[in-house]
Amino acid sequence: MIKLENVSYTYMSGGPFEKKALDGISLQIDPGEFVGIIGHTGSGKSTMIQLLNGLLKPDSGRVIIDGEDLSDKKTNLRNIRFKVGLCMQYPEYQLFEETVLKDICFGPLNMGLSKKEAEERARFAANMTGLPESLLEKSPFDLSGGQKRRAAIAGILAMEPKVLILDEPTAGLDPAGRDEILFKIRDMHKRMDLTVLLVSHSMEDVAKLADRIFVLNSGKIEMSGNPSEVFAKSARLREIGLNVPQITRVADRLREAGADIPPGIYTTGDAYRILLPLLNKQNKQIKNN
Amino acid sequence: MLKDITLGQYFPGNSFIHRLDPRTKILIIITYVVMVFLVQNFIGYAALALFLAVCTTVSKISPKYLIRGLKPILVFIIFTGIFNLFLTSGEVIWSMGFLKITREGVRFAAFMVLRLIFLILGTSLLTLTTSPIALTDGMERLLSPFKKIHLPAHEIAMMMTIALRFIPTLLDETDKIMKAQSARGASIDSGNIFARAKAMVPILVPLFISAFRRADELATAMECRCYRGGEGRTRLYELKYGRVDFWGWVYTAALLAVIILLNITFGSF
Repeated sequence: MIKLENVSYTYMSGGPFEKKALDGISLQIDPGEFVGIIGHTGSGKSTMIQLLNGLLKPDSGRVIIDGEDLSDKKTNLRNIRFKVGLCMQYPEYQLFEETVLKDICFGPLNMGLSKKEAEERARFAANMTGLPESLLEKSPFDLSGGQKRRAAIAGILAMEPKVLILDEPTAGLDPAGRDEILFKIRDMHKRMDLTVLLVSHSMEDVAKLADRIFVLNSGKIEMSGNPSEVFAKSARLREIGLNVPQITRVADRLREAGADIPPGIYTTGDAYRILLPLLNKQNKQIKNN
Repeated sequence: MLKDITLGQYFPGNSFIHRLDPRTKILIIITYVVMVFLVQNFIGYAALALFLAVCTTVSKISPKYLIRGLKPILVFIIFTGIFNLFLTSGEVIWSMGFLKITREGVRFAAFMVLRLIFLILGTSLLTLTTSPIALTDGMERLLSPFKKIHLPAHEIAMMMTIALRFIPTLLDETDKIMKAQSARGASIDSGNIFARAKAMVPILVPLFISAFRRADELATAMECRCYRGGEGRTRLYELKYGRVDFWGWVYTAALLAVIILLNITFGSF
């Protein structure tokens, strides 16, 4: 579905402010996967996702979506963008229409759909993101922060892309808003058979949702694998300015203190299953003494 | 497209040109502009070119960057050249149908194009070697004598500082918004002029909203730090004239003398 072959990208190439953002990235993402992309600020995450729908063109290497090479002149980039929905960081600023409904319709109308079809899709997308029907006729500028964020995501979702890329969808939201958006994203992934790429700073969010994680560090893929494989390397993650979920840190500390706990625990559920027998055993020992 | 705008771009450095007091630089640029219009023959332009070349070499700014500044007004330069070439009356040296080129037209076109190029190159060198803050500081000091006739020198300088400060921010913002709308299938650079104008709405509306929001936030932030205009305001860095400024003026005066001399010796054209 998505394939990057040895992709490099440099900003302001040739000038005094030259900055190599991506350096020989290769990866493949299959349909239906939920992929997390983590990395500290400036590691190349945002650059990478902009390559995936042709907003940026790689300096070298190939980006292939559904068998089409994006650098190929024959490739229709607009069609690629309808297929790969990209929701940028702080997407609220893309809202511009008089009403929320009209704004969500912007993408579908650009696809050449009729007004009726576009509105149907918009209502469906609004429903998926948890935007109440009563808000659809309001001005997008009267919404709260979390509602604006949802309206913006719905604007992407209404194009019914096969792949949904979200760049820090929860940045700047309160905990309740954050959880609700993440829950909705997981819901969409399951119900609409979406391939989702979630870019995030929050290890907890990625740990909760992703099947597979890519870790970016200064333009290169530092590690990849399922969450337990990645979070097992907590020392290296900390070295490159990242962290591991809180529960992984707790498990690491306990292991350092001599407890018999395997590495790569990243959900409270896992921790519960492993820690409870240990605690019971210890309690028994105390009683026996 | 947005990458070509060099306005307000500053290259930090510690060259002779960088160390000149901003007031000196502004006054020299004014003198330079006067000289660009004073020159009456091509030898004079050669002298100007030499002056600019020396300044550029001393400033250690890559000439590539200076020339890149011409790009946005290239169309304007070409049109100026063409209009002057065909529309100046005088001794006809070539004609085809209603089009005719005169000897005076050729000279006039060449002069106009050279003037524009020299103006842009000179002022680009100023903005490339002077930080916007230093530039507006210099401006404020130069205008302060006019405070007596109620010219709001500080306010003008502050407005310029803020405007310059926000150019890169707004460019970034525009780029971001354009990308976000392209991701939703907006086609910004296709179709006829009306389609294009209509396609600007999804970019301009968010841009204006964010500009107003930023202005509002900035005003609040300034008030929080008790900003109350220029009255009685002292500065962290006082501007001081130094030896470099003296030599800068000697150099400029020498060029002025050369140009006047060339004008007298060779006359116009």
